[in-house]
Amino acid sequence: MTSTTAYVLYLLFALGAAGLYLLLPRTGPSKTAIGATLGVSALMGVFVVLGTHSSAERNDVIYFYLFAAMAILAATRVITHPKPVYSAIYFVAVVIAVAALLVLQEAEFLAVALVIIYAGAILVTYLFVIMLAQQPGSPIYDRRTREPFLAVVVGFVLMAMIAGRAGELPARAAEKAILADGGRNPATTASLLTGNTMAIGAAVTTKYVVALELSGILLLISMVGAIALSRKRLTSDVIRTPLRTLGQIGKEVEPF
Amino acid sequence: MPDTMGYVIVGAVLFALGLIGFLTRRNLIVIFLSTEVMFQGVVVNAAAFARFHHHLEGQAYALFLLVIAAVEAGLALGLVMLLYRRKDTLDADAWSQMRG
Repeated sequence: MTSTTAYVLYLLFALGAAGLYLLLPRTGPSKTAIGATLGVSALMGVFVVLGTHSSAERNDVIYFYLFAAMAILAATRVITHPKPVYSAIYFVAVVIAVAALLVLQEAEFLAVALVIIYAGAILVTYLFVIMLAQQPGSPIYDRRTREPFLAVVVGFVLMAMIAGRAGELPARAAEKAILADGGRNPATTASLLTGNTMAIGAAVTTKYVVALELSGILLLISMVGAIALSRKRLTSDVIRTPLRTLGQIGKEVEPF
Repeated sequence: MPDTMGYVIVGAVLFALGLIGFLTRRNLIVIFLSTEVMFQGVVVNAAAFARFHHHLEGQAYALFLLVIAAVEAGLALGLVMLLYRRKDTLDADAWSQMRG
């Protein structure tokens, strides 16, 4: 990637930053239409730059653009929507688009795990908490943001730094070179011969077995922590009230 | 399309969007949703580099990242419920006077 391309990318990021700044929730007159136009045109521009620097002739390129656009637009909606429930729903769209990108990257197991864990488990937890804690109407803290200009500048400078360096990556090694490698890299050979899921299973249970055990312990600790955090505190007079007689325990449960 | 470059850019964009959401939004739940968006950017990046280097380390890291995301979601939402019960609001600014 030439330096001209990098500067074009920076310019497009600046355009996207301006669009996002206008899209963030605000109390004054809404400029959503202008922001959306700026943001979408910046995204299109980035895709055009990527397309003109096409080095691989693959027929799944269109899927990359489709799901990348879906992921980025849905992520923008996650952080700009004034209602948390809709943010959570748009996050499901982000997860599905990212899973599709993972399939394109030959990480099928990871894609399935992402959909099951994120869309299936984590998002349901989020929705439960939103339902439990959401206040009626649209409270002020959902309609105003804190330091939107500075945050947008920080975020897009970081993005430009990463993306500007991304063009300096060398071309990817050909797949045949790996096959000719003679199986010196067992993980790759296994991945090519048996499929992604078995290869990941082999890697996780051999090379990363300590990390696997540690993550099990971590999950246990977090479960204990979550229970300890969210338990209901009983006041002392509740504790001192005499218990019901044996036959009545559990028969009159007060609704929440 | 320069394969890895496109994915790295998408990962960077997702991470930056999550960062902006984390910094600007005031609703505690949306703040933690933004961290999940950041995780998605990292997952895309890890998978892209796993393919770039032709080994599975990136994918294994992304798998452990899912564990961390689950742990974070469980603990963070427990904290959010605790804070909501204390002050009856989800506004992060309500806790700006907090001292250690």
